[in-house]
Amino acid sequence: MTLAPRSDPGHEHEAALIVRIQSGERELFYELIRPYERRVFVIAFTILRNEADAEDVAQDAFLKAFKYLAQFRSESRFSTWLIQVAINEARQRLRKSHLEIMRPIADQENEDGTYTPRDFTDWREIPSEAVERKEIREKLIAALGSLAQKYREVFVLRDVEHMSIEDTAEALGISAGAVKTRLFRARLMLRDLLSSGLDGIWTTNSQIPKGTKPWS
Amino acid sequence: MVVTCEHVWSEISNYFEGDVDPALKEALEGHLAQCPRCRSVRDGMRNVIDLYSDKAMFPLPVGFYPRLHGRLADQVEGRRISRRAWLVSVAVTGALAASAACAAALDRFAPRPLSEMSQPARRLPQRLVAIVDGGKMFHVPGCPFMHGKYHLVAAEEAVRRGFAPCTRCMRDALRSAGKVTPDFEGEESASGATEGK
Repeated sequence: MTLAPRSDPGHEHEAALIVRIQSGERELFYELIRPYERRVFVIAFTILRNEADAEDVAQDAFLKAFKYLAQFRSESRFSTWLIQVAINEARQRLRKSHLEIMRPIADQENEDGTYTPRDFTDWREIPSEAVERKEIREKLIAALGSLAQKYREVFVLRDVEHMSIEDTAEALGISAGAVKTRLFRARLMLRDLLSSGLDGIWTTNSQIPKGTKPWS
Repeated sequence: MVVTCEHVWSEISNYFEGDVDPALKEALEGHLAQCPRCRSVRDGMRNVIDLYSDKAMFPLPVGFYPRLHGRLADQVEGRRISRRAWLVSVAVTGALAASAACAAALDRFAPRPLSEMSQPARRLPQRLVAIVDGGKMFHVPGCPFMHGKYHLVAAEEAVRRGFAPCTRCMRDALRSAGKVTPDFEGEESASGATEGK
């Protein structure tokens, strides 16, 4: 997908930096990648589900980005291109490792089917400090890791890194419609996975009686 | 517009994206106000989005930035040779220097001729010389100090058989070592021996 050039100041600043790097001011590469260092790691971690591999892949992705910067075309955002590089690196690492054998069954699901929520616990507002608790964070990471890769990828780009639907689609090489469908399923699956798994930290005990569920 | 629970669930993600038209949005909100099940779906999804949006959700490993910048430095700052490659290059340079020093030392202790005529065997001219059966010296063919029927052999072969160089005719030959006279070329046989007169 080729998008029209962006005219926002950030994009123009990055384009100017890239020109200067390509003309020999190589140290400016640090400035170019600074806003994306964390993002690349998080995306790699979400795909690989392993901190050491994710760090290694993040380093490889930045090295590759520097090496092939001359091939970058300013029709798209540098961030999107960089994330494409990182995703490809992570996918390659995944293929090389045995993790592929452990691919969740959900990978094989047909995403065209509708997803029906399974749990109707009455959710309450989450305490703002919840994520700072390590055990909660680990459960959230485990829940995300249990999703199929295609859902993890969309979810991390959109809901963790707040990329737009269009940029997410471009980075993953899929349509915006596919992004929305996968995002919908990822959000609902996570909701079901987490509704009963966090010791009631944000759910009340008032389960809706089964008899009131629409299909019962 | 009337919407069902299933309709709400299928649109709830788009609802959070702001990607529903005003009429549908109004219908969805009307349904949500009355349906506890759909509110559970909405609130749960909102919590999921909020939780994973938190920056604290994915802490970076300790030392992430120094390690990243350290690895990038070789490429970005033009330090193309890694530390390991640098160590290897130092080791190779050292080995080459040591072997050169050894070679120089061996050459220094190599035997030196005491005079022009006391050439070590390895410096014998690569040429054919004439020997006479029963004789003690090898000669340049035509040497006036050689008597009898001779045959040609390689100088090294003559030395191996115990012949010594003729101090008269071989003097000039040794002085002009390397300047093999064309007279002998073509006379050499596969066995290194050619009958003379």
